[in-house]
Parts: sequence; structure tokens; C-alpha cells
Amino acid sequence: MPYENITDEQLVEMVRENNKEMYSELIKRYQTKLGNYLRKFIKNNYELEDVLQDVFIKAYKNLNAFDTNKKFSSWIYRIAHNEAINQLKKSRNKILSLDEHDWQIIDEKIDIKDMVDHQLSKIKIEKCLTEMKEKYRQPLLLYFFEQKTYEEISDILLIPRSTVGILIMRGKNYLKEKLSDK
Amino acid sequence: MTEENNILEKKVMEEIKSGRVKLRSRYVFLAEKLGLGSALVLSVILAVLFFNLVLFYLKASGGLGYLSFGSIGVFAFLESFPYFLVITFIIFIVLAAVLIKKSELIYKKPFGYVAMGLILLIFFSGGILTFTNVAQRIENASYRRHPAGAFFRPFLHRDLGGEQRGIMGRVVEVGTDYITVETPFGIKKMDIQNARFPMHESFRPGIFIKAVGDNNDDFFKARDIRPIKEDEAMMIRRGVGEKFGDFIPRMNIR
Repeated sequence: MPYENITDEQLVEMVRENNKEMYSELIKRYQTKLGNYLRKFIKNNYELEDVLQDVFIKAYKNLNAFDTNKKFSSWIYRIAHNEAINQLKKSRNKILSLDEHDWQIIDEKIDIKDMVDHQLSKIKIEKCLTEMKEKYRQPLLLYFFEQKTYEEISDILLIPRSTVGILIMRGKNYLKEKLSDK
Repeated sequence: MTEENNILEKKVMEEIKSGRVKLRSRYVFLAEKLGLGSALVLSVILAVLFFNLVLFYLKASGGLGYLSFGSIGVFAFLESFPYFLVITFIIFIVLAAVLIKKSELIYKKPFGYVAMGLILLIFFSGGILTFTNVAQRIENASYRRHPAGAFFRPFLHRDLGGEQRGIMGRVVEVGTDYITVETPFGIKKMDIQNARFPMHESFRPGIFIKAVGDNNDDFFKARDIRPIKEDEAMMIRRGVGEKFGDFIPRMNIR
């Protein structure tokens, strides 16, 4: 059955109408994206898998609370975001972890080529993002690495759109400043 | 990663199919929303009502009148200030703000604006209510065995009249060095030996007075005494009326 033309929201409606099987399609669509997002907070693979499983189970349980007039992706990212925050509170290791792809995104978006030594840059950015205040880091991660729009970030973090813009701008400036300092 | 993904998908779907993980009923969410909405509406209504009661109390308790004594009256005013009402009013505003934040209804607007709007709404509605007799009806109920009256009684009667640094009541007896007054809480004897009087005033039984000074166990040592105007301290007048009825001249009170 071709699911490509079915939107997330339509899939949610189908699951709610007792078509449980369709939930696997939603899992397929989001497990890699959410996995990559959560990986920035959780390094341990087993922990990551557990948290991801919790996210999908929590989302399923609360599917009736989802308003199908809104975007499902924002809603499930909100659940993942909350789980990530909870996990960060529990975890001793709060160092943010970037992979090579993430590093390239940062490099392109902030243009830091000239500022830092390429070999050390990834570690430095990880350190800067780890040290950055939570309120700046969250929108920055969603904007850079998850390619979320301001509107979506506003729905995920439940903050006004204008605030999202301000936080991202301040986060970028902080990052630039810190990287040029070191 | 694909294999890991398949395992995860399988695990989650197994939990769902086995029935161990179920969809929470939409009625549960509806009830949650209704509960939160009702709590929000109730806290806003109570905040409006308490703001109205604060305004009413300041006007009708006569506490502001202590300020006419100058610096000496400030303590009496502070003593009769309706702290309990004001604190409860603030608690309801905070509660309403917390519920708005929790309900995730208006996160698209900056919370500062929302809070400001909420406060303005409460001030405006509370102000409008002063044109009605709601607060006086609540006060009247507070003297009766009415459930609403019992709820509001502690708020309205707690700070009424002060009595440590200031006193208000109806004169029932005037002696050479004392005045006996009826207050909403009982009869109080005032030592007036060192009190200042307005030269043009004579205090006779039946009139209402306000005084500042210091309260001892048995009497109130007045430092300054003034009559209360006809339209002033209506709560004190009503409170005395409720406790002692209409004024009846007395010959001797010991």
C-alpha cells in the first residue's frame, strides 16, 4: 500500500480509528530524524534506543490529544524534546555530541572557517554548545540540525515565534564570539 | 541503523498490538482540558472579585481615614490594611497566570503581554464591579450564616478596625477623661486624657469616631480623636449596627 501520499495527520486519524498497524508507518517516518536529534543529548546507544522507544510509546498513548489541524512533526518533536530534557537532567554526562554532518552544517551556517583550526573546531563547537544556556541551545539545534522553521520551533518549544528569532540570533552570536575567543 | 530501526519499530508495535500500550481515551483529554479551563475561569473570576473587595474594603472600612492624622496615623492605616484580601488576590492572579502557561493556549504571544493583559482585564472588571453592590452583598452575607458569607468572613473581618494603633466605633458614653465606644468586635474604653481634639468638635453618644493611639489590655490610650463623616467607614457603621443594633443612649457603662 503506497503511504507516500498520506500525510502524518491522516495517518494519525487512521490509527485513532483503530487501524493500529498504521502507527508503524509513523515510526518509520520519524525514528531516524528523532534518533539523530536525541543523539545530540544521549551518547549511549542503549539509552538512546530506550528514550526513542519511550517517545513513540508516549506519542501513541497520547495520540488523542493531538490536534490534527496542527503539524504532527512539531508535536512528536515536542515529546522528544521533553524526553531529551528529562534525560539530560538525569544524566551526568551533559556534553553535546555532534557528528561530521552536524559539524558541516554549523560550518556553513555560521561561517567559522577562518575563526578556528579545522581539526579542533568540532570539539570546540561541542564544548560551546554544551556551555551555552539551554534557552539558546534548544532553538539553535532545532534550526540548524533539524531544519525546523521558526514556526515549527515555536510549536515545539511553546514559545512565541518572535522569541525564537531572538534566541537563535543570540545563540549564533554567542557561538561566534566564543569560537573567535578561543 | 536500518536494522536498529526495524527492531525499535517491532518492539513498539508489539507493545501496541499486545494491548500493553493503549490509546488514552479522548474523553480523558477532554476532561483534562475542561478541568484546566474551569480552574482558569474560576481563578480569574475570584481574582476580579477579590480586587473588587480590596477596593470596597479600602473605601468602606475607613482605614484610609487614619492617614488624615498624619504620620501618627500611618501605623494605624497599615494595621487596618486588608493584607489577607490583597495576598489572596495576588495568589489568584498568579494561579491564573500559571494555568494559562500550563494550558499552552496562548504560547504564540509573549507571556509578558499575556500577563499584562490578564492583569488589566482583572483590574478593569474589578473596577466595573465597584459600580454594582456585589461587594456590599458579600459583606452583608459575611454577617449571616450563609456559605458564601462564611467563606468571605475571615477576609473582610480580619483587619477591620485595627484596634492596636487605631480604633473606630460609635460613642456610647462620654466621661471627663474617657470615651466608651462600640466597635464591630465589642465595647472599648478610650483614655482621652492626653488626646488632642479638634476644637470645634464635641463628642456625644451616637456619633462615630476614629482615634489613633496605643492599645492597652483594658483601654485604648487615644492620642488624637476625630469624628467620622456620614459617608465614611460604612463597614464599621454596619459592623457596629450588626453587633449592637441601633444606637440606644445609655446612662452608665462599667
